[in-house]
Amino acid sequence: MKPSIACIITIELGTNGVRVFAFDLNGKVIGSMKGHHPTFHTEPDYSEQDPEQIFITTLYLLKNLLNECIHPKKYRVACICFSASMHSVVAVDKSGSPLGYAITWADNRAKKEAQELRQSALGKRLYEATGTPIHPMSPLLKIAWIRHRDKERFRQTSKFLSIKSYIIHQLTGEYLVDHSIASATGLLNIHTVGWEADALKYAGITASQLPDLAPVFTTAGKLKKAYQQSFGLPAETKILIGSSDGCLATLGDGVKGEGKATITIEDSGAVRVMGPTVLKDEQMRFFNYLLTENCYVSGGPTNNAGNIFEWFTRQFGDFTHPYDMENSMRQLVEEASQVPAGSDGLLFLPYLLGERAPIWNADARGAYFGLNIRHERKHFVRATIEGILYEIYSIGKTLGEQRTIKSLSVNGTFGTIPFWTQMISDMYNRPVRVRQRSHSVSFGAFLLSATEMGIYRSLDEAARTVELPDVYKPDKQRHAVYADYFGIFEKLSSKMSDEFTAIASLQQKYSSSSDHTAAEPVKPITRKKQKSKL
Amino acid sequence: MNQFALQQGISAELRPFPYILEMGAKKNGAIQLDAFPTATGEGIRIYYIIEGRFEWCIDHQPYIFYPGDVALVLPGNAFGSDKGILEIGAFTWIQLRLQKPANGPMLPGAWSGLSESEGAAIGKILSLNRSPALSRFSEAGKILKCIHAELLGQEIGYQARVNHQAAELLIQTTRQMTRQSYSGRDFPKTFMHLEKMLRQNLAHQWAVEEMAAMVGMSTTLFNERVKSYSGFTPINYLINIRISEAIKLLKRPEISVTDIALDTGFYSSQHFSTTFKKLTGFRPSEYRKNHLRNK
Repeated sequence: MKPSIACIITIELGTNGVRVFAFDLNGKVIGSMKGHHPTFHTEPDYSEQDPEQIFITTLYLLKNLLNECIHPKKYRVACICFSASMHSVVAVDKSGSPLGYAITWADNRAKKEAQELRQSALGKRLYEATGTPIHPMSPLLKIAWIRHRDKERFRQTSKFLSIKSYIIHQLTGEYLVDHSIASATGLLNIHTVGWEADALKYAGITASQLPDLAPVFTTAGKLKKAYQQSFGLPAETKILIGSSDGCLATLGDGVKGEGKATITIEDSGAVRVMGPTVLKDEQMRFFNYLLTENCYVSGGPTNNAGNIFEWFTRQFGDFTHPYDMENSMRQLVEEASQVPAGSDGLLFLPYLLGERAPIWNADARGAYFGLNIRHERKHFVRATIEGILYEIYSIGKTLGEQRTIKSLSVNGTFGTIPFWTQMISDMYNRPVRVRQRSHSVSFGAFLLSATEMGIYRSLDEAARTVELPDVYKPDKQRHAVYADYFGIFEKLSSKMSDEFTAIASLQQKYSSSSDHTAAEPVKPITRKKQKSKL
Repeated sequence: MNQFALQQGISAELRPFPYILEMGAKKNGAIQLDAFPTATGEGIRIYYIIEGRFEWCIDHQPYIFYPGDVALVLPGNAFGSDKGILEIGAFTWIQLRLQKPANGPMLPGAWSGLSESEGAAIGKILSLNRSPALSRFSEAGKILKCIHAELLGQEIGYQARVNHQAAELLIQTTRQMTRQSYSGRDFPKTFMHLEKMLRQNLAHQWAVEEMAAMVGMSTTLFNERVKSYSGFTPINYLINIRISEAIKLLKRPEISVTDIALDTGFYSSQHFSTTFKKLTGFRPSEYRKNHLRNK
């Protein structure tokens, strides 16, 4: 028999779906698949997903990947490694069945709890201990919310898991959480790498109600027999617990070492650095998550990135073919390139979804500023992209107060659009390297697996092998223009704080479009017609 | 159009078309009290506004209609003016009887020339009827005018033409409804609506053509968009939802496996069992047993 070739499979439990990749041991992709699962918004602030459907989607993809790309070519699966979005909560009962849907990172139901805790001395202490910003995204606050507002569910809950812990429990029967995901719960002390007693107390739970802590290189048990048979995999197939999407995207871009930062721009965005120490911040603006002991991934997240450009495209793009978002966006980017840097003085604040880093203001709202009579449609297009990227730059600038950023890499669907990448390079005045294929997270999971298997001696060595060509170089003149306008952008963002609050509260007061907020039924009308009266 | 009113059983013109329950046009020069009371009808009613402005209630919800708009009233739904007032203006209407099989969607009859699956899709979409008020739908006015002219003229071939036009009216109304709901700019939103409809009618035997029609897309475009957005073919996506829901039901011992199979849209417990095992590695009964043992 021909000796089989080993391969590594990565499973990415993302915000909108599951992606599976197969890599050979050189890191070359030999197959990939994705599967969408929905997010439910049953209440305005809710953002939930069905853990059972995520599990079924995972099974479906894994099985199809194996049957289409792995088994026919006689690859041997050496390892299956997981990555997942952070901050999710799945409450399960004694039998391991979910009590209701999983609560995702985007869920804001605990905003009141977050606001109160953030202003307290305890909040400050917990932020320093756990590295997770005090924000409704944090499982700490979600569990506290369930404790106070959904008492029956809290009473029945045997364990509070993350989506990844739930999927792994289904596959192997083990209750485990890796250090990276755990460090994003607001419950883990990232300095001692144990559950933080004050956080548990605030959430009203004990450590036994959480899965066991495990380093990212841990083997998370054996596949159950039924899955060994249905996947056609031997019992010794290694199930590696892996890490979180944020940590792995940073690793996957080779951002280990001094002076490196990585920018991710998908629907939302983040700027991250990696290092042996945490970023301390009086204003609690940064997150500090744990990859391995003494290796922290730190940075700031933004709510408003690619999703804002999609919003703009839906409103103002040309749709010659129905549902052809990509083409419409391409046309808009082309239109934007006809306008000089700085959009002739039109500025855009992209805070349509409120904002996290660096201003951490859920009430922030969007604005176009500086309009004059010569501005045209195309100026709006360019100003929109510039506004989104000024915000990305402002996160990097705040990070720069503590770390020197010498080189940048960019990943994500939107960040890798050449026009955007060039603009990032110009704003930061730094060369920018790009990973063209958008799988930094999964590639990070590959590097982790390969290190565990002994192919690399350490994650440092693994990260050093990542080569991204220096494609984009900053342009001095454009940089000067952006730097001038950024001063106004930054001032507007902080100066308008009171007005943001005022308009957000009026928007809530007079909200009419929502299905949920109106106390009395809104009168449906076919359309209102402007009657001209003479 | 002059005023007229034809009624099945009374007007000879309608005798060759037993599915047309009534048809008419009304021109109202002064506000009349107690002239437009709320009533239910046996068929599906389509009102097209020619002139004026009307405040009507459909299924107890108020709407305002302007020229070019259509009011679509389902069989059995209450329809009329709130206080029986008939406002100034002109409109034309038709009432069509659809077949209503015991546990299927409404079906246009054989007269329509629609195939069974297309007819069922149209019936299903009309019965979900998210928007009884269709705006800027002048096509409906043209079709009604044509039917009226054919009924009165009775030229050679008029019976076929009336049938064609009545079917055309149902088709265009269905298309207008789906187009009005989905703008073509936001596939994720469209997909979310579709997903919701599938979940609410999981036991229904969905065909791809029907799903595509529900969101106002051609089958080809629909297949392509669903695949590129979700990674699944429409049918595989549906199977994923079915299995995910079945898993939840299997954890409740009081429901039989056969009932679960039918409730989640499998046509037999055998079909359910094979599909479930293929995806999860367990037979449904094994899955249930394992779960109860862990309890």
